[in-house]
Amino acid sequence: MALQKQAGFAWIIDLGGAALFAWGIADGVAAAAAGHAAPATAFAAMLGGGLLRAATAWGVPVLAVRGAQATTAPLRHSLVQRLLGSGAAPSSGQSAVLAIDHVATIEGYETRFVPARVAAAAAPLVAVGIIACASLVAASILIGTLVPFVFGMILAGTAARRASERQLEALGDLSDLFVDRVRTLPIVRHFGAEERIARQVGVATREVARRTIAVLRVAFLSSAVLEFFSALAVALVAVYCGFSLLGLLPFPDPETLTLREAFFALAMAPEFYLPMRRLAAAYHDKQLGEAARAAIAAVPDLAPPATAPAAFTGVEARAVVIAWPGRTIGPARLSIGTTGLVALTGPTGSGKTSLLAAIAGQIPPSSGTLTAPGADAIAWAAQHPLILPGTLRDNLVLAAPHAGDAAVRAAIEQVGLAPMLARRGADLDLLLDHRGSGLSGGERRRLGLARALLADRPLLLADEPTADLDDASAEAITALLRAVATARAVIVATHDPRLIAAADAEVTL
Amino acid sequence: MNPFPPAAPERRTLRQALACATIAGLASILLLALSGWFLTGAAIAGASGAAAVVAFNYLIPSAAIRGLAILRTGGRYGERLLSHQAALTAMADLRGRLFGKLAAQDSRTAPDLASGDASARLIGDIEALEDLVVRRPGRPASLAAACFAVALVALAGWKAALALALLLAALPPLLTLAARRLTTRPAAEAADALGALRTAFVDYAAARPEIIAYGLAPRVADSMAALSRPLDRARAALARGDGVVAGLLAGYGTLAAALVFALAEGAAPVRALALLAAAASVEAMAAFARTALRQASVEQGMARLATLSQLPEELNPAPGGTAAGLPITLGGRVLDPGARIAITGVSGTGKTRLIEALAGLRAPVHPIDLGGTPVERCPADALRQQCALAPQDAMLIAGSIADNLRIARPGITEAEMHAALRTACLDTTVAGMPAGLETPIAEAGGTLSGGERKRLSLARALLARRPWLLLDEPSEGLDAATEAALVARLRDWLDTTGTGLLLVSHRHAPLALATARIDIAALARR
Repeated sequence: MALQKQAGFAWIIDLGGAALFAWGIADGVAAAAAGHAAPATAFAAMLGGGLLRAATAWGVPVLAVRGAQATTAPLRHSLVQRLLGSGAAPSSGQSAVLAIDHVATIEGYETRFVPARVAAAAAPLVAVGIIACASLVAASILIGTLVPFVFGMILAGTAARRASERQLEALGDLSDLFVDRVRTLPIVRHFGAEERIARQVGVATREVARRTIAVLRVAFLSSAVLEFFSALAVALVAVYCGFSLLGLLPFPDPETLTLREAFFALAMAPEFYLPMRRLAAAYHDKQLGEAARAAIAAVPDLAPPATAPAAFTGVEARAVVIAWPGRTIGPARLSIGTTGLVALTGPTGSGKTSLLAAIAGQIPPSSGTLTAPGADAIAWAAQHPLILPGTLRDNLVLAAPHAGDAAVRAAIEQVGLAPMLARRGADLDLLLDHRGSGLSGGERRRLGLARALLADRPLLLADEPTADLDDASAEAITALLRAVATARAVIVATHDPRLIAAADAEVTL
Repeated sequence: MNPFPPAAPERRTLRQALACATIAGLASILLLALSGWFLTGAAIAGASGAAAVVAFNYLIPSAAIRGLAILRTGGRYGERLLSHQAALTAMADLRGRLFGKLAAQDSRTAPDLASGDASARLIGDIEALEDLVVRRPGRPASLAAACFAVALVALAGWKAALALALLLAALPPLLTLAARRLTTRPAAEAADALGALRTAFVDYAAARPEIIAYGLAPRVADSMAALSRPLDRARAALARGDGVVAGLLAGYGTLAAALVFALAEGAAPVRALALLAAAASVEAMAAFARTALRQASVEQGMARLATLSQLPEELNPAPGGTAAGLPITLGGRVLDPGARIAITGVSGTGKTRLIEALAGLRAPVHPIDLGGTPVERCPADALRQQCALAPQDAMLIAGSIADNLRIARPGITEAEMHAALRTACLDTTVAGMPAGLETPIAEAGGTLSGGERKRLSLARALLARRPWLLLDEPSEGLDAATEAALVARLRDWLDTTGTGLLLVSHRHAPLALATARIDIAALARR
């Protein structure tokens, strides 16, 4: 069983502590009523019960968080793979929320809500069983309150839940509006509309607050029902036991209570509804956790790698259109054989990188025909290359695990990284972190290009290979790509006029 | 500590919430204490024979017990409702004031809250503050309950009362100390680790094409798992802190009960009353534990909000009416109002930056003057009276088409909107929409394509009626026929209104609008 569920059952140990404490005070009070001094065992039971309760209260979250993290760590691992391993995944900002924030929310759900739910299902029955040992009638009274309690929760709960869920949405929308207006403030200020927009934000927030308060009036009824029955349970047990001890019950008493038994039942009565109060306290974690689960469930699983065509024969794209809601790229037409250099041009944001991704089979075009090679025929030299924590060598051979040091050094030499290594007195064992600390933007880009060359694949896609480079370096890289293009097909996304001039063909988006 | 204290009406609501919380707290203690007293008294009377039973007043206590159960329920309900009401109203007010403050900044120096991270943090900080307001009545009500419990225990002699008073007085500092020692560092570590993890993820996400091309997703996931270990550790430490504080509270309650019972004097019913009052009083102090545990994470948010609340308001309200056009000086060339100029140059050389500097969005890097004053020394208000910008990315607000057009200036009529949409070649598209001008455009695209969004942004700039129109790639994403129509209509509009034009375009057709070109490479950089 998962640790967080075990933590829920551990709350039953807490009941044991409560029973020990209740026995201690019942024994002490009974002795006092009989005119004796309270026995030492009574005090020992009180303190022992307290220690047990303290230990459970400490142990449950510790156990639960361990169990929760045993669930969330693999979830995060698989989400990162699904989100970064597929071109169809949401934007990086949304992906980060899914893989990091939503996973943290689920950890909260597993740590606080799951143990409370398990305890709420099991602990009240155990509490009734313990109380029944002292007074069957008191136990029956508690069970009897359960019927109107459940009825009341259904009445107050169902209506309230729907209303409060709608209101949660309204509050979410309000947050979105607030974020949107903060985000667009520069243009709002530019048109001198800031006062009007501020007024509008003020009116919207006040309106949502007013409606939320109206909803809360109903929503808090269900917690009032819980509160009422947990207070009523104590009151009914106290009144029954009192009248039973006085012999004034209006019905024949099925049992003969002693003060010790009566006091024990009274002290244990609050424990009956306590698990449900704990559950109610974790309700917010439940709502958030379920929303996070639903969002994560919508992330598609990784598609199995497509079976690659036998041999690379070139790329043929006709009238290819890539469309997202609100954005369309293309139609684009592009053709390249097994060798040659094609330049893909167009202003920033016109979709050059997206078209490269479509050629690489990473995002599906929404219309048009595209004949492209399998994934293992493609090397990609990125604008922001991947750098994993490790050595320079590790990073260069990511796509060619069997490349020897000689090949690695040759690639470094080709892309012009050798002077950088010499300047630092560093070798292939140069340590890099995931941000590529210490490498300039241009050096990182060269690293990506070297990795793509080492991969030795028939089609090379290079995204802005010469951006941010000085003239001499840009010319060297252009010459290198020209040379590579005699043996392989090379498609570059660029707006560098020299590279465009060196290309065999230009495709403008 | 709270940079935004609640206003008078909310303070009144909070006082009412405090009264309810106090009633609930007192009723809770009295319910248990009275029950204990009643049971013990009843047992003694029952054992002493029929005369004692008749003499024992059972009606008042048994009625009081039932009454207290109802009072406790009502009190808790009132406390929750009123404190949430105060918090919600206060936060609505705060959002409004905070937005007003941010809105009155100069875009060139304002804090950048456009990134998702910054705005999410702002929302989170406001929610933390809301939570703080909701919890505010808890602590004084706990103190009132504690005093009441001590008074009840005093019925069983001064020794028990003194012991309980000392124990209860020591509890809040103990809880605060424990919470601070256990949660301050993990809370900071968790925040740092979360930030680092998010940065790493965004870095990796930028390399997504390579990850897919080389099948590296499992390796990246391993690397992310290593980076998330400090976060998991810090969060586990926070959960341990929760546990220690909860355990402390549970153990403390039994200790107080045992000690009070040992020291209590007098008749058995009174000692039973003292015992249960003591146990319930520690439970009533739980509000201190919750506040103490949240303190560490709330403090940073409060500090961030305080920084925002102290920003000076720099922008004056926009004056009505239209200002007379001022000349623009660009690289020594004086452009009189009404001139039509294209800025040319290869990508990445700062054409957009130049246009946005003139619009007052960013600081300039090229020498550019407005009315003889360098742009960086022009007040933001002077710049926005002269220029209307249709930026490179459309910068639309979430809302309807009309909402976006209305930003341009107050009092725009529907006829004016339709005229502007016609000039921007968007009239037929909007006419074909189910709700026309009131059609909502979703925040991240939705019903409008990229080109349509840009033309809506152009229509908005036309409606502003400023002496200079600034266009950045106005025809991007258009087919040749629509582009030609757009250029023709824009030319007519410029002719009719006599508006000046500064244009950046990668495409050839719009360049025909300009009567002269300025190469950005010829301008010295500052």
